[in-house]
Amino acid sequence: MYDMKALYEAESVQDAVRLRLEHPDAQILAGGSDVLVQIREGRRAGAEFISIYMLDELRGVSIDEEENIRIGSLTSFSHITKDPIIQKYINVLGEAVDMVGGPQIRAIGTIGGNTCNGVTSADSASTLMAWDAVIELTGSEGTRRVPIKDFYIKAKVVDIRPDEIQTAILIPKESYENCFGHYIKYSMRNALDIATTGCSVNAVLSDDKKRFERVRIGYGVASPIPIRAYSAEEFIKGKEINEENIKEFALTVLQDVNPRDSWRAGKALRQHISVVMAERALKECVKLAGGEADE
Amino acid sequence: MINCTINGKKRSIDIDPVKSLREMLLKNGNFAVRDSDDAEGFCGSDTVLLDGTPVFANLVLAGEAEGCEIVTPDSLGDSMHLTVVQQALIDAGVVQSAYNAPAAALLMTWLFDNNPDPSREDVKDVLSGIFIRDAGYEQYYLAAKLIKEKLATGEYKTEIAPEFRPQLKSVGKVMPKVDAPQLVSGERAFVEDYVDDDTCYMVVLRSPYAHAYVNKIDTSKAEALPGVIKVITAYNCPDVTYMSAGQGEPEPSPHDRRLLNKKVRHVGDRVAAIVAETLEEAIKARDLIEVEYEPLDAVFTVEEAMAEGAPLVHNGRVQYNAGAPDDLDEYNAKLSGDEREGKVVYQFPLHGDVLHNVAAANHGGIGDVDKAFEEADAVVEATYQTSQIQHTPLETHICFSKLENGRLIVYASTQVPYHVRRIVSWVTGLPQNKIHVIKTRVGGGYGSKQDILVEDLTAYATFATGRPVLYHNTREEEFIANSTRHPMRVHVKMGGKKDGSITGIYMKVDANTGPYGNHALTVPMNSCSKTLPLFKCDNMKYDLTIYYTNTPPAGAYQGYGTPKGTYGLMMAMCELADKLGVDYKEMVLKNHVEEGYMLEILKGLGEGREGNVVPVGSCGLREAVEKGCEMIEWGKREESDDPDWKIGKGFAMIMQGSGLPGLDHANAIAKLEMDGSIIVLSGAADIGTGLDTIIAKVASDILCVPVERITVITGDTDSGAFDTGSYASSGTFFSGNAAVVASTKLKEMILNEAALQLGEDKDDMELDWPGEVISKKTGKKLSYYEIIHTATSGTGRGHLIAPGSFTTAASSVPYGAHFAQVAVNIKTGEVKVQKFYAVQDAGTPINPEAALCQMYGASLKSIGHTLYEDMILDEDGRCVNANMTDYGVPMISEQPDDFKAVLIDVDDPDGPFGAKSISEIACNGAAPAIGNAIHDACGVWMRSWPMTPEKILRELGKIK
Repeated sequence: MYDMKALYEAESVQDAVRLRLEHPDAQILAGGSDVLVQIREGRRAGAEFISIYMLDELRGVSIDEEENIRIGSLTSFSHITKDPIIQKYINVLGEAVDMVGGPQIRAIGTIGGNTCNGVTSADSASTLMAWDAVIELTGSEGTRRVPIKDFYIKAKVVDIRPDEIQTAILIPKESYENCFGHYIKYSMRNALDIATTGCSVNAVLSDDKKRFERVRIGYGVASPIPIRAYSAEEFIKGKEINEENIKEFALTVLQDVNPRDSWRAGKALRQHISVVMAERALKECVKLAGGEADE
Repeated sequence: MINCTINGKKRSIDIDPVKSLREMLLKNGNFAVRDSDDAEGFCGSDTVLLDGTPVFANLVLAGEAEGCEIVTPDSLGDSMHLTVVQQALIDAGVVQSAYNAPAAALLMTWLFDNNPDPSREDVKDVLSGIFIRDAGYEQYYLAAKLIKEKLATGEYKTEIAPEFRPQLKSVGKVMPKVDAPQLVSGERAFVEDYVDDDTCYMVVLRSPYAHAYVNKIDTSKAEALPGVIKVITAYNCPDVTYMSAGQGEPEPSPHDRRLLNKKVRHVGDRVAAIVAETLEEAIKARDLIEVEYEPLDAVFTVEEAMAEGAPLVHNGRVQYNAGAPDDLDEYNAKLSGDEREGKVVYQFPLHGDVLHNVAAANHGGIGDVDKAFEEADAVVEATYQTSQIQHTPLETHICFSKLENGRLIVYASTQVPYHVRRIVSWVTGLPQNKIHVIKTRVGGGYGSKQDILVEDLTAYATFATGRPVLYHNTREEEFIANSTRHPMRVHVKMGGKKDGSITGIYMKVDANTGPYGNHALTVPMNSCSKTLPLFKCDNMKYDLTIYYTNTPPAGAYQGYGTPKGTYGLMMAMCELADKLGVDYKEMVLKNHVEEGYMLEILKGLGEGREGNVVPVGSCGLREAVEKGCEMIEWGKREESDDPDWKIGKGFAMIMQGSGLPGLDHANAIAKLEMDGSIIVLSGAADIGTGLDTIIAKVASDILCVPVERITVITGDTDSGAFDTGSYASSGTFFSGNAAVVASTKLKEMILNEAALQLGEDKDDMELDWPGEVISKKTGKKLSYYEIIHTATSGTGRGHLIAPGSFTTAASSVPYGAHFAQVAVNIKTGEVKVQKFYAVQDAGTPINPEAALCQMYGASLKSIGHTLYEDMILDEDGRCVNANMTDYGVPMISEQPDDFKAVLIDVDDPDGPFGAKSISEIACNGAAPAIGNAIHDACGVWMRSWPMTPEKILRELGKIK
């Protein structure tokens, strides 16, 4: 028996918005793979919940009229991994969420839940950061779009207003076009483990594949919320693709990452790994984009 | 009301929608949807299909199942009608303790329903959400292959396992484990499946302090709550001091605890037990108990425990039931003697010294090590630290007890039914005839169920209240209030000559037993007694000291002390070889024992008394080393395409025992039933490893009856006969041999009875398949049916019943060597175990396919101990990672890509049909094999568990 004061079942997005207004203390329950565990652990026990799990309109991946990739917030991890649009344009996201748990969690866990938790170690977080995802929220006054970097406020706190639910995650065309990404999850074990650090890098190369036109790099667990290493991105922009520049890029991330010591791993390890992952992931992106990273 | 379809049938279930789907399915009778992790979404025992997709039933709300189609594991096939998938899992040998075998069968079924030709990656992916601790994952790949073959061609093409002893029909043959059909199909099997409807629940209030007096407990508010039946505390429980180790009496463990104590000695220690009508009421009552603690300073490591003026974990009175020292009164005068401390009672001296937090100690050796080190060309000296590790059985500790017919009935998931009965008798004061312990199937033991950790309190609660009581550990309790592997500091000094011969070995072992002394002496003792006898060395010395601390308790864990001793010794030997410039393999070959070598070292290494000095018996050690070296291409350097990854190889010699000669004892009773079939009653405790099958197979070959016509009943203190239990690798050797003795006696009785019935000489009688007696002289035959029918007729001579008892002074030692090839990323510190080969001499493998699975399972588990697993305590002694996700067990993705288990054919003169033990030894090799391989790869010695990337990078100088 889950310790819930009440559970309200939303029948549509508008109904969910209404329930949000009627029950301002209620929390949102999507797939439940995280929230139910937390209730059992006592962290959210006794609260009111609004389940949006039945809202099938929030499931699926499509290209909208603005040519954004539109991922419904309730789309499951396993769906994302198998989706042809994802595979074509942002395969790295499918790979990242495939690292979550086993098939049982991947079937239930949702991309919306993964972001709304505001957890820095979430497997989708660094990739969505690195691809400048846009969060679509729907409230009583319609929809609102928030860049993901503004969506994360602080650890476990995200920008959702009292009347809103997250309805979609958008990847703009200028973000995914000609862009190739790679995600590295650094964890002690492979399956069902929490990332010690996660690093997602993507790159757009010049037409001759000799220069970096744009590189973006996002981290999870390098800071209380997912972050971008803008200094490194700035450094590498327009630079020639060579070993030296990639190494310098990797070292520059230390200006942006701010990991902490914990029993899982020390700060020194996390910093060291952040650099190693940046180099490795960027080289992989170059390879995916058809360039040559090694001399 | 939830409307849905469960296993093809429409159901309307009246249940609160915020209950979990699992709770709804339990209500519907689908009890094989189990819970191993308190709904953490890790172990996968609660897997069901929801609209055709696997989900954790614990993490779906019942309300979300509205209108859905649900398939549960028990729908696949019952034990009489198994599906292809279920049968293949049994045939591959993976259905061992099997708590989540039904869930695994469901996942495999789902895989094949969606893809008749799955790749290895597909199998890996589908099993990535299920935790297998017993058999490892390797043979699931074999099962997948068998399923594929069977579905495509109607038969298996792949060999399942090698077979042994062609002259025998059952022993050494691939044959389904007798309990496997029941287990894989999810029929009633475990304690939780036998709980009555009117059962009460017990929960335990646990200490938030690592060390404190419990000065006052106010239970009035809790007791006033409706539904609460009783609250048991240190102030109303019986004043009986005992201990939790399931060992032979008198135990080589101090009696140092009561049911509940007035002093708590670790975070999680018992403070009060609450019995209520429902679990919810019991939990609510627990929160209402008011406790006045007086916190004390605590010690958590052996260094802290041995420090001058350290707080004393046991500061009461010391008693001896035998061999008390003359100055005991003076000694006791130095202790506080505070009544709240309780007392420490030694059954005989274990060289404990509670004034210095020493629970037990032992010192000894042969020859002169100091001289040996002087004569050596090189000497190495290093300290190896092992971590605190939990067994993590899928089925957490559980007990159900009730009164019936004036007796106390205890359903236990235990390795030691007779020891459970004795300890329940102590705490209740009931004579043993009034107690009936029923060992159900056991969902994972690994040593943790050799301790009586929940049965004492549960049975007492029933005794005190008269009510049926269920107690079930949460996963967190499993970590903090159970038993764990003793953390040990193993200091090794070893000297050798340039020719590779070892001149002397010194081991100083400081072990942390936690707050109580169960297995305190014997676990650390094994770190020497099951390692030093690997070496032909005339100068060996050991000093063992076991300290009390305020960590979560330690106890028995598969391998006992041996993995830790082996880790220190084999790594030191590798360091020595390196220093001497000698090849490690050559050094191993030069120094290992062979058959006939007299093991003088054993003299001081008995279980608290003088040990038997015996020569090395059957020994496949050299063959194991040679075979493994050939397989892994020892001496050949491997290069990776990626310069960041360095590859290295390592191996370790290993040994264990096969029970405790002179201490263990097993009995069996073989009976010829009225139609000529056989029933064997045995005191054995099969914990999923196939012991019942071993008993059936030896009886089959002795009595010339197929296994299908033999039923083995074990683990029941009413119907069996005494057996010390399944620990110290004794099952096959002791319980198996008792079955040999009983079956052989029954055979003699059958021959005798047949001779009398035929009017011929017994010497002319011979048994023949499938259960008949034939006269060599006259050619006349009598079937077992005819024999027993006449014997039990109105004029017959009586039922043929043969008891057999087995004790021995002989020691059949299994040997082996485990090999690892690892890749170490020198930039990230990651370690990949690329290859792992377990090569073992287990004598005659009676169940070869099960033997392989146990080798895989124990190897994978010990890879986990080496690389990932670690209970981390904060400064207050609280375990910060007491859950499955954070603790770090290896899953299918951690399994080596190239994983092999190889059985060396050795026929032991003392084992049943030549068998020795097989599983426990397989925990001993991984740490030194991997540690040595890491050194070979990148030049650093990893001297502590777990060998994490962080430690490796630090050793490599990459991080501070």
